[in-house]
Amino acid sequence: MEKASHLSVIVDLSPTQWHLSAQTSNQYPLSIETFLSQLLAFLNAHIASKHENSLVVFGALPGKSVLLYSSTELLSDDVPSLDANSYLPFKLVDSTVVQRIMNEFDAIGELEEEPSCALVGAVTKALCYINRITHPSSTTAGVAEDPSIVHDPRILILSVSPDLSSSYIPIMNAIFSAQKLKVTIDVCKVYGPDTVFLQQAAHLTNGSYIYLERRDALLQYLIMSFLSPTSIRKILAVPKQDKIDFRAACFCHKNIVDIGFVCSVCLSIFCQPLPVCSTCSFLSIHSNDSMLLAPFSLLQTHA
Amino acid sequence: MAPRNRDDNFMDVDSDSDISLLGDVEHRGKGKGKSKTTDKRKKDKGKAKAKEQAYTWEASYTRSWDTVQEDEAGSLQGAVEDLMARGRRRRLLAPAAAIRRTIIRHLVLLLDLSAAMMDRDMRPTRFDLMLQYAREFVVEWFDQNPLGQIGVVGMRAGIGERIGEMSGNPQDVLKCLSERTRLEPTGEPSLQNAIEMARSSMSHLPTHSSREILIIFGSLTTCDPGNIHDTLDACVKNKIRISVVALAAEMKISRDLCDKTGGQFGVAMNEGHFKDILFELVPPPAQRAVARAGGPGANPAADLMMMGFPTRLPDSSPPSLCACHSDMKSEGFLCPRCMAKVCDVPTDCDICGLMIVSSPHLARSYHHLFPVKPYEAVTSMEGESMPQAACHACARIFSTSVSTAATSEGMSPWGRYRCPDCHNDFCAECDVFVHDVIHCCPGCGK
Repeated sequence: MEKASHLSVIVDLSPTQWHLSAQTSNQYPLSIETFLSQLLAFLNAHIASKHENSLVVFGALPGKSVLLYSSTELLSDDVPSLDANSYLPFKLVDSTVVQRIMNEFDAIGELEEEPSCALVGAVTKALCYINRITHPSSTTAGVAEDPSIVHDPRILILSVSPDLSSSYIPIMNAIFSAQKLKVTIDVCKVYGPDTVFLQQAAHLTNGSYIYLERRDALLQYLIMSFLSPTSIRKILAVPKQDKIDFRAACFCHKNIVDIGFVCSVCLSIFCQPLPVCSTCSFLSIHSNDSMLLAPFSLLQTHA
Repeated sequence: MAPRNRDDNFMDVDSDSDISLLGDVEHRGKGKGKSKTTDKRKKDKGKAKAKEQAYTWEASYTRSWDTVQEDEAGSLQGAVEDLMARGRRRRLLAPAAAIRRTIIRHLVLLLDLSAAMMDRDMRPTRFDLMLQYAREFVVEWFDQNPLGQIGVVGMRAGIGERIGEMSGNPQDVLKCLSERTRLEPTGEPSLQNAIEMARSSMSHLPTHSSREILIIFGSLTTCDPGNIHDTLDACVKNKIRISVVALAAEMKISRDLCDKTGGQFGVAMNEGHFKDILFELVPPPAQRAVARAGGPGANPAADLMMMGFPTRLPDSSPPSLCACHSDMKSEGFLCPRCMAKVCDVPTDCDICGLMIVSSPHLARSYHHLFPVKPYEAVTSMEGESMPQAACHACARIFSTSVSTAATSEGMSPWGRYRCPDCHNDFCAECDVFVHDVIHCCPGCGK
């Protein structure tokens, strides 16, 4: 018998990128309306595949990340009116997600310059949420009575923004904590160039990274590759990415580099040789008395 | 006598620099023997624990339920929160000064496989307990030292025996520790033989890595073919750091091994203490003797090294010959400079000599460089017009009632902890999770 599975979906809601994606000059234009209707069908499929399945939806908006829907608690008081033609759980997901996205978009307003999308915030929130539901603590009564202990939690990132190289370190930290929690991170690149960091995220957590070639077939990609829980994926031939780019972002200019200069003290990566490491400010000079020093060491600071 | 004097001198410098670096470390007590636990770098937790726990042979049975107190309502909430408060306080007491730590570590685990390990004073036997803890130690060690390597050497029947080659793969090390029948204890241990074996296996290592030996020693004797002090001097010369976890009692020679090489020495009093002193050796050792480079202002030598981050080829790619073994293979890593294919990373490219590393390996240590600021406990709700209803990270609803149990310092009666940068409120569980695991504030995104 298949156990209940948990899915956290992170939707990249960058208005600029979605605008670009909807332009008719693209080979397969995909507007956010079409995207949402296909995504909601996928979310409904997840809920429908098992009664105990839990679902959380986070949105990564410019400068902030928000919880759009959570199956364990009601976020809004207004329960949609009963409709004989719709199944209530589906209706609840659909209306909550759409309503909240609309609210957030309205709140953005006119901005001169769009701040970068808070994808990291959304991923860390998803991890905190998974930590909360997989380790129900005795101190909170509300969680303890949750009957379904989640077995293979997954995070699905639907990304449209390019790599944000300034968030290299936080995203790597998030990947390592996902590894610790045994969380699989799946990435579906809906629009834009390949992102190196998300490729590494999927690779390091045994997830799949899929670049959407036919964007009009989004729902098919979602259902065929991301609906099955990890236990079933061993049997199915789920597509994985072919190449994994292990490039990193340098600390000085936030460039993504394939050959970098690494400080032997703190392992910071730079794209060009520097006389002084800007992270740990150790001079890169040879000392005569280097006998007792192991150059590979780390400057640890506690804030 | 002359070399010995120099060593003593070295040790004095060593302990002085220790103080200037660590700040809160007590002075190295020269008087030994009075207490079994004169380990300076021990955390507060270890010390408190050591005091309240009895020796294994004194305790007939443990009453673990006595330490947990129920409150009036019969719930354990108060006890749990007290434990959490202690944890928080311990974190806040972490040294504020900068410490240099070794990143690329090489460790030889020296296991005592002599007949003394079959003693049953630790349950089920010293041997089984050692294997179990050694496995847990290896897992934790690789987690915190992803660029490190571990080799395993056993001491039994008077000789040193190589059990596992130096390897960077935790699975290899765990495999050689899991074959219990191969490791069956017998005979007398020989410290000298085993240390010589460990030393020779580390002699080729480059200078930028640390060389460490960790001895788990249960016997009270050692039968050596020569003078073990010569071995000790050789280890000092090779800058090998020896740490000993003794299971029986303190021996002069094991204490000397640790003191002269700058390692840690500990005698395990019972099962829990054994694990504590073993796991204290997991975090990278603080780099010492820095002050020798010419006062506290002088910076030690550090170089920028050129490293390449490869592209990984999948199993389904067309097979080709690898540059390192000339084997026909599909999977592999491409050197970013010369595009040669190598089988495994980290390595030096066989064609152009570029050091190829996987960037996630490097990234594992970055949370030390950019730690998350500690959250402040919200102690007063006055002046808050619109308090956040739920935890910013996990969306757990905050309770509106004041918890009376949490009166101790560092705890918020509302269960709210606030990030000093983004001013979002987090629950206690997320506070611990963010600082211990994620190392990234969900509110600020950095």
